[in-house]
Amino acid sequence: MEKKLNLTLKIWRQKGPQAQGRLVTYPVQGVSTDASFLEMLDVLNEELLKKGEEPVAFDHDCREGICGMCSLMINGQTHGPDRETTTCQLHMRRFKDGDTIVIEPWRAKSFPILKDLVVDRTAFDRVIAAGGYASVNVGNAQDANCILVGKESADRAMDAAACIGCGACVASCKNASAMLFVAAKVTHFAELPQGQPERYKRAQAMVAQMDAEGFGGCTNTYECEAACPAGIQVTTIAKLNREYLKSSFAYAEESKSSEGEG
Amino acid sequence: MGWLRLLGKEYLLNWLIKALGSSIGRKFVMGLTGLLLIGFVIVHLAGNLLLYVGIEDYNNYAHALHSKPGLVLVAEIGLLALFLAHILIAVGITRENRAARPEGYQMRRSKQNRTAATPSALMFVSGAILLGFILLHLADFRFHLRNPGPDGEEPFAKALRLLQDPVSAGVYFVGSLFLGWHLVHGFQSVFQTLGWNHPKYTPLIKKAGVALAVVLALGFASFPVWAMLKKYGVQL
Ligand code: FES
Repeated sequence: MEKKLNLTLKIWRQKGPQAQGRLVTYPVQGVSTDASFLEMLDVLNEELLKKGEEPVAFDHDCREGICGMCSLMINGQTHGPDRETTTCQLHMRRFKDGDTIVIEPWRAKSFPILKDLVVDRTAFDRVIAAGGYASVNVGNAQDANCILVGKESADRAMDAAACIGCGACVASCKNASAMLFVAAKVTHFAELPQGQPERYKRAQAMVAQMDAEGFGGCTNTYECEAACPAGIQVTTIAKLNREYLKSSFAYAEESKSSEGEG
Repeated sequence: MGWLRLLGKEYLLNWLIKALGSSIGRKFVMGLTGLLLIGFVIVHLAGNLLLYVGIEDYNNYAHALHSKPGLVLVAEIGLLALFLAHILIAVGITRENRAARPEGYQMRRSKQNRTAATPSALMFVSGAILLGFILLHLADFRFHLRNPGPDGEEPFAKALRLLQDPVSAGVYFVGSLFLGWHLVHGFQSVFQTLGWNHPKYTPLIKKAGVALAVVLALGFASFPVWAMLKKYGVQL
């Protein structure tokens, strides 16, 4: 049954990338327990607008847990208290009347704050871009089942493909490491026949880009797995380690002359 | 690392240097050196346990070990290399990891009930404490910088005398417990880093790691306790 909550929000406000930020306290009244967390922020922003104040900037898009745009560190936890739930899928019934909720942006050197709760996650895009293309045949579409994929491989690839690239792994990791993200992407392709031609090159390039972006290293503390809204498991990180090891020894880099932009 | 790069160009080992210089490559070296060091402490503990078997047995073992100075030198250099690699990489990785989040959170709460004392959260601290313990231990037993003994002192007598120093005994006791804390995370972590995470073996590896950590910690911690009890005349 719907109830109304009175809450105290402490929200990170920061005017721009270089500006000094701070937590600002906002009391909100009569929040419906049926509202999602982002709807609660919408209500707050309406009120701020009415008062002529600057609304709180936060990222969101699909609001159904599939796009990975929403973020938010809620009371010190990525995407709030629930497991395998994005912020947009978190509902206010998870909170009690009178609660204080601290809302912060993701924090990592590689995810600079743009404004308030919005961070720049294009480092992930650059890691993906570094992974390059996957060779596919042109021409008529193939028969749907002409490439056989083992059930277990397909399962692992699909589990890894569930990653929505939200960055909760980086945000929750004490080292701001992006290993779970990169592991999911590398595993996703390495498990499928379509990913084989560029398999080793991809692992090398994505790890190199991950390092270049300034993410921390993995110390196997597994906070990322607990934080991941898509349920990506740290077994993918072991897989990435394997892929990296194998590719380091097995993959013959192209010579400089034949190196072209793909 | 300039000379390393030079070496790489010369011998066309660029790929190896690139691999070992990457975040994952350094973790491989970290894990492998850690595993080898675990092997060393297991042998070390086994040797020490001869203290409990008998004076003669311990003395004979120690003399046998030191009767081959060449071998001892090679082993010492090898151990030093392992320690240095392990420690230098740890310092480098820790600095980078701290730098990866220049501004921390106002509020932080784990989703897996981790605390600041969880072994994996404490690796650098427990490692630093271990290093202090090892340095004191080397100063005592290897370089005789503290409490030098009489010439021709038998190994058993030397061990007992050094372990009865209150400072050493205290540091050794605490250091041994931190060794266990370090290995609770360290042992199983090596396998993940080397890419070996498997539903059939990983639960076993985790349990074996904890068991190993407990045995090593209690084993090493028992020596200062034993020496102190002997010092104050408790019959054993
Ligand atoms: S807004 Fe798309 S996943 Fe939350």
